[in-house]
Amino acid sequence: MRNGFFNTLTKVNHLRSIIGYNGLVYALKKLPLIGKHLPDKLYALTALKIIYWIFHIIKEVSMLFIGKIFGLGMIYLAALLLNKAYIGYGMTEGISGPNLFASFALFMFIIYALFGLMLNTRLFKCTTEKEYLVFMLRMNPRTLNNTLFIFDLAKLVIGYFIAGIVAIIAGAPFWLWLGIPVLAVCIKLFGAGILAAFYRSKSKRNKLLKGSTWGLIVRLLLVFMLLPVFMVLVINGYYVPLEYMLIISAILMLLGVWGFFELAKFDANLHRRALRDNIVRKEIENYREPVNAKQFKRLKANGTVKGNKKGFEYLNALFVRRHRTMLVLKAVIFTIVILLIIGLILFGFIYRYGRTFGAENTWAMLFNNFINFFTGRGYADALQPVDDNAATLFFRECASKQMLLMLIPLTIADISFKATQAMYINCDNSLMTFSFFKQREKIIKLFDIRLKQLIRINIWPALACGLFAVLILFNTGGQDYPFQYLLTFMVPVLISVVNSMTWLALYYLFQPFTTTVNVKGGAYKAARIIISFISGFICWIPLNTAILAGVLTVYTMVYVPVMRLLVKKYAPQTWKLKS
Amino acid sequence: MEFVISHLVKSYGSKQVLKDVDFVFEEGRIYGLLGRNGSGKTTFFNCINGDIDINSGSFYLRENSESKEIIKIEPQDIGYLVSTPTVPEFMTGREFLKFFLEVHDEIKPDKTIDEYFDYMVIPEDDRDRLLKDYSHGTKNKMQMLLNIIASPKLVLLDEPLTSLDVIIAEEMKNVIRSQKQGRITIFSTHLLDVAVDLCDEIVLLHNGRLEPIDKSNLGDSDFKDKIIAALKEEDNA
Repeated sequence: MRNGFFNTLTKVNHLRSIIGYNGLVYALKKLPLIGKHLPDKLYALTALKIIYWIFHIIKEVSMLFIGKIFGLGMIYLAALLLNKAYIGYGMTEGISGPNLFASFALFMFIIYALFGLMLNTRLFKCTTEKEYLVFMLRMNPRTLNNTLFIFDLAKLVIGYFIAGIVAIIAGAPFWLWLGIPVLAVCIKLFGAGILAAFYRSKSKRNKLLKGSTWGLIVRLLLVFMLLPVFMVLVINGYYVPLEYMLIISAILMLLGVWGFFELAKFDANLHRRALRDNIVRKEIENYREPVNAKQFKRLKANGTVKGNKKGFEYLNALFVRRHRTMLVLKAVIFTIVILLIIGLILFGFIYRYGRTFGAENTWAMLFNNFINFFTGRGYADALQPVDDNAATLFFRECASKQMLLMLIPLTIADISFKATQAMYINCDNSLMTFSFFKQREKIIKLFDIRLKQLIRINIWPALACGLFAVLILFNTGGQDYPFQYLLTFMVPVLISVVNSMTWLALYYLFQPFTTTVNVKGGAYKAARIIISFISGFICWIPLNTAILAGVLTVYTMVYVPVMRLLVKKYAPQTWKLKS
Repeated sequence: MEFVISHLVKSYGSKQVLKDVDFVFEEGRIYGLLGRNGSGKTTFFNCINGDIDINSGSFYLRENSESKEIIKIEPQDIGYLVSTPTVPEFMTGREFLKFFLEVHDEIKPDKTIDEYFDYMVIPEDDRDRLLKDYSHGTKNKMQMLLNIIASPKLVLLDEPLTSLDVIIAEEMKNVIRSQKQGRITIFSTHLLDVAVDLCDEIVLLHNGRLEPIDKSNLGDSDFKDKIIAALKEEDNA
């Protein structure tokens, strides 16, 4: 039996290291730039495999330390601190120091172990190596699961014994050092027993052997409820008498024995079914995964294109019409929200003004300020002048020197990334198989049409943001220099144009998507990270709006044609299908 | 017109999928590109279609074997029918055909849209439905129809009859036969019977090279055995 145990364990670990090593080499070969230079021979290099094996063992040992020694070590430390505090404040009447230590340690350990029991249900989880060994190499699933379970228990006992040495030094009773690992094993067996009983009952009812998410949440909540009980006890200077803790531990140990027998009754066929159902569940989840792709497939042949559009104009108009909700909705909602905020602020102000100064004064104020706005002056009213408080100054500062902050709302409102995904999934993915679609002139023609379309959609949130910023300026003193309103209004518009061009050009230059909407291109991912980093950094730079508008105008005038040129030059080679 | 492939090489890492492919395809003939699964048929087509970069070699068109002038292959010269047809799902068949005819301003259509549909035996009630709701076979027919309309010099058909029902497969075969004049058609398949039935020439892709099979005995019972023997040779090569 011992030989069987070690044989199985050796096979599992050997397979784990092969899977791990090959997975690592595969991942390295997929890295951008260096990946393609790595030879296939790496898969067969014994020296590297040995190095990986050493790391694998180090990882296993580290996990043992982190998971077991650290976890129990923290409990002992907390028990030690509480013990010292109780002794310090003289709250240990009727109990010795070591016993109080043991009571605290047991209480916390039981909560900790019950948490572990809820979350750690690996026994029937079908890992890759289990799948290979059971379903391809026909290993007995009961032997395999039990071997791995015993191995886990052994690691647990070793880890807890090591952690217990610290507790002994700190003054814990000797029986606690021996008792906690045994209690841990029993709780583990109890958990495995519950799972086995639950699966066997499901098997009798011919149901899929899988855990219940809701059940897990309820159980976790129940364990969570023990924590406040402990906290109330400690805060009030109480403790659970050791005798009670020992009774609870004894009950858990008995439940562990029950778990052992439950597990013993769980035969090989049930083990196999549990593993198989686990795979089935995983596959179902994999099918559910492309929900992201599904949203692009909700199409209806409603309506057609009006007017005299032809060729690519016709294609684009149809595309927008059939993807209207996906493409336009976000921008529309964003614009409406901004306009609603503006409207509510204005309405609130006018309403309060009307209640205070009467309708006639309100109309006069509105008329005067309407004229002021369009002549470039700021809000002015003798009855209710501008209040120069800190908030006013803050908003004015933002609208006159921090307009780059507009990058944040405009990035949120921008639909370009999703639009390029939809373009690929529902249109380009198929048209790329046709030669005409890859002709330089046709690529750039469609690119121009799409760019205009994206700008047309993205500009609405930008206009709303621009209006918001201009109204802030107006309400906080008006223009500091001629055309400040116009320049402030221009900034978000120019940012949205740059955004639209960036995402569309990146799509054409890297074509990173697959049919499941995954982003595959390393260069594209890198570009996205760099752009996000740069945007996140520059949006906090203070810059006078006049200078910013000037810089942005020049930048846009250079950036747009340069990117267009790059697309024209390189897209015929880069805009391709990715498997 | 001839399609010439000269010393074409394509590798993935250290694995050479196409090794020094050298071949001349002639106009007006259907070439059956036979190869085992994974022999590189799709890679070969993807190289020709420019979807993947080649490592070395070249391919071009020329008027005839005496002609010294090389005609560079442009994207519009190639029609490529992939085994899993993909069509723009947000359009109806009619809308797609209208768009296709409009972007090909060089094409002077000799038929109306409905006549094209009739030619490909695409049912009337499918014509105004979204392409995403088309069956596999009808999607395939749409793809074929567009390639017929574009009238490319070189037609690459990557296992187009795979998973089609008998009727549609027969209809497609008839269309392919009727369209062979004036162009070079290369039809890849791993099904020997289909290749023998449809093609004028059989070319084997094995060991990363193209090799013609003597067509004089095409249809003989020994012929199949010869091809199978040739394909098996690669294992021992």
